[in-house]
Amino acid sequence: MSLPGGETISASPALSRQRRFVTPGPDETVEALALRALPGQPVEAAVDAIRSWNLHIFAMRKPAGLLLGSDVVFVEPPLG
Amino acid sequence: MFDVIVRGGLVVDGSGQPGFQGDVAVKDGRIAAVGRVEGEARQVVDAAGRVVAPGFIDPHTHFDVQLLWDGAARPALEHGVTCVVPGNCSLSLAPLKAADRPRVVGMFQQIEEMPPEAFTTAFDWTWEDFAGYRAAIEKALSINVAPLVGHSVIRLWVMGPAAQERAATPDEIAAMQDLLRQCLDAGAVGLSTSFVDIDENGRPVPSRFAQFEELDALAAVLGEYGRMLQCVPEFYATDITIARIDQFAELSLKHNIPTTFSPLFDTSAVPDNAPRAIARVEEQFARGARVWPQMQTRPIDISFSLLRPSLFFARLPRWVRVLRLPLEARLAALRDPDTVAKLVADTGPDGGEAMMGRLILRGGDAAPAELAGKTLSEIAKARGQVPAQALIDLSLEHGLDVAFLSASQGHQSTDRIGPMLAHPLVHIGASDGGAHIASFSTYGDTGYLFSEFVRKGRHLSLEQAVAKITGETADIWGLKDRGRLQPGLAADIVVFDAETIDREAELPTFDMPGDGMRYVRAARGIDTVLVNGEVAYANGAYTEARAGVVCV
Repeated sequence: MSLPGGETISASPALSRQRRFVTPGPDETVEALALRALPGQPVEAAVDAIRSWNLHIFAMRKPAGLLLGSDVVFVEPPLG
Repeated sequence: MFDVIVRGGLVVDGSGQPGFQGDVAVKDGRIAAVGRVEGEARQVVDAAGRVVAPGFIDPHTHFDVQLLWDGAARPALEHGVTCVVPGNCSLSLAPLKAADRPRVVGMFQQIEEMPPEAFTTAFDWTWEDFAGYRAAIEKALSINVAPLVGHSVIRLWVMGPAAQERAATPDEIAAMQDLLRQCLDAGAVGLSTSFVDIDENGRPVPSRFAQFEELDALAAVLGEYGRMLQCVPEFYATDITIARIDQFAELSLKHNIPTTFSPLFDTSAVPDNAPRAIARVEEQFARGARVWPQMQTRPIDISFSLLRPSLFFARLPRWVRVLRLPLEARLAALRDPDTVAKLVADTGPDGGEAMMGRLILRGGDAAPAELAGKTLSEIAKARGQVPAQALIDLSLEHGLDVAFLSASQGHQSTDRIGPMLAHPLVHIGASDGGAHIASFSTYGDTGYLFSEFVRKGRHLSLEQAVAKITGETADIWGLKDRGRLQPGLAADIVVFDAETIDREAELPTFDMPGDGMRYVRAARGIDTVLVNGEVAYANGAYTEARAGVVCV
């Protein structure tokens, strides 16, 4: 499940693995989300990674990068 | 004495079981007997050589506004559809405060391509709450309606303009829960939400600002009633669609509710899109979740002219802005060299060859007849122009009344789509009836199901196809009174010719308020349609019957 701070549902053993994701918390910035989703990484690297995996938010949307509460934000690249 | 007996047809009862020769008797709006029926009736419908089936149910429509002046949702009813579900994709016309009407009308115009006159000239706004809207449409229904309530309007009612700005507070979420209960008590069959739509200013619709906790709280209310949660997901991106399937599966399991998402498209550009989504749905159903993907039968074709905005230009915001201008201002913009240069540039370095070159000029409008059927690329070459420039100039030369067809935009492979439509977990729907009216006809998907996937492709048997759009749909939506020819159930019945049922050609018509244009398809092979026991359509004509109800 994708509740803020929680594991994504793709971790459930009953399901095949899919891309992990989180949803933004209230007023959460991309920097805060990146640090939450990718702990231990430098913030700039984490933000760059989140941006590159979520072009639907950071490239296709206008204004680009507007985080919405309902967004699916992937925390890993597409599965091979 | 029965009210009606439909005699001597092949009864295909909506269960998926083999059809059988028999009669269907009706009394007091309900099916009284099925089989060999003795006795007389005030009215006998001869069904010899015809199929007698439950009325079709269309689970994804936007007839919210049309129902206020057209209780038959024409031409849906003549295609055998006896129940429509409006209020999809987070938008409904109630609950809606008077002050918020312009905002929601703007969303309907942007998202569903409805003309402004539809909201200003054809009816009086007499309601704010859901019960009031129900009363307004129930005055003259000849089709049944199972309405959803939209998440975006619930949010707007509770939060006002902040609905499109921020997350809701706990108190606001509680207020939304109470409001949803009121709507469900007043006849809503569920809640719809959207993860993709924007308003006329490009702003995400209110539902998209909701945290998952808000949707979870609303789903809890749906759980109290066992009602449906519908969404339009990011259907253009498979990974995101799968994430939505997972979210909805969790809500389904947690609150014991059915959920559905629409649309699910097949496209050669991403051939594993629909198969991957369906595979995930299978996994979630195996866990006990109910997440029904809705798939339409028809290919995606879009027609347009520069007389009005069109879905075709969705990825070209400058074109959209120009086409939204009043006519005189629009003409001026299209004659302005600087504006035109930018419009052409927006279509790519090839002047729109890749984006627009394959457009086909439709006949039947102000364009020269000799150009009908030619591609825009051919026309542009003959004029010595790039396609985007040719489109603008040709349109200007004929008062903008030049229609183009963008055919086969996707979802057109019968061999790929047929097996998916036959899949037991795929819900046939997503017609969008009543929406996108100036881009394509949303009517006739049921006829196309029989002509393309039963008769031609043989992907479904007659009985399977009928069950898909009647009994199974009623089960999915919890419409306990509909979907089957069984004694005691509502007498929604369609009599049709299995050898000819189909959709006719797509044609422009000018029957919207303010002489507005829309594309429609007439029905073929439909003899008679009964709604709650009364003949609502027969022999190619609508009757005066007004037996439709808001059904729950």
